[in-house]
Amino acid sequence: MQQQRERYPDDSMRWIGQSISGVLLIVLLAIHMIAQHYMVEGGLRDYEQVMVWLRSPWVLAMEIIFLGVVTYHALLGARSIAYDFGLPLAVQKNVNRILLAIGVVTFGYGLWLILTIYQQALQF
Amino acid sequence: MASTQHPSNSSKAYPGHVGSRPRQQMLRWVDPRHKSAGYLGFIFNRVAGIGLVLYLYMHLIVLSTLTRGPEAWDGFVAFAKSPLILAMDIVLLAGLLGHGLNGLRVALVGSGIAVKQQRTLLNGVLVLAGVLLLIGGALILVL
Repeated sequence: MQQQRERYPDDSMRWIGQSISGVLLIVLLAIHMIAQHYMVEGGLRDYEQVMVWLRSPWVLAMEIIFLGVVTYHALLGARSIAYDFGLPLAVQKNVNRILLAIGVVTFGYGLWLILTIYQQALQF
Repeated sequence: MASTQHPSNSSKAYPGHVGSRPRQQMLRWVDPRHKSAGYLGFIFNRVAGIGLVLYLYMHLIVLSTLTRGPEAWDGFVAFAKSPLILAMDIVLLAGLLGHGLNGLRVALVGSGIAVKQQRTLLNGVLVLAGVLLLIGGALILVL
């Protein structure tokens, strides 16, 4: 019981974080779907259209925020699922470390990808 | 504050509950028998969430095609218009709508808001997700 009490405040904050990031994702995803798919003939931007779209610093900022929020929400959700299976505390700590590492790598790779494409867009 | 676990569960199903074996927890988690509609919605959110996490990584791989220039990306765009990919897009949209709207319901109920109306909320989520899927799916096929 003591172990559960010690974790409880963290779990509450994570639950709030998961809810807030989920609401943010609904807004960001709606903008993404409409702008990237539903407003474009054919449903997908061709290379030239992507370059024109990504030149805007506002779009760049939105894509980076989107990447951060979706990575946070996804890995926190994966953590909740893992915890549903009643893992021992030692395993829980390893799960946290692994998911944190995956999150850092995912955000780092995604950020590199966005900035590389942004540079391409500026030179296009 | 409530945990991420649906409130209709017993305390034994508390996430991270140390006393039960993982295998038992897993069996309880995936067993749909004797479960309320709200709990099944909660399980749907978990399953859809796993699918969406996998899609996130697939999406990053696809977007890396943009770094290889216009020919690589435009080749992917042509491939993405095949009927199979369009059908998968509709499945993806269903997952996004279901997970997003049902997630809102879980967040509301878990916060103690509209707990008594959770059945109505679930029906509302199903109707809204269905309507948006019809519109979004039709647009995917028409565009």
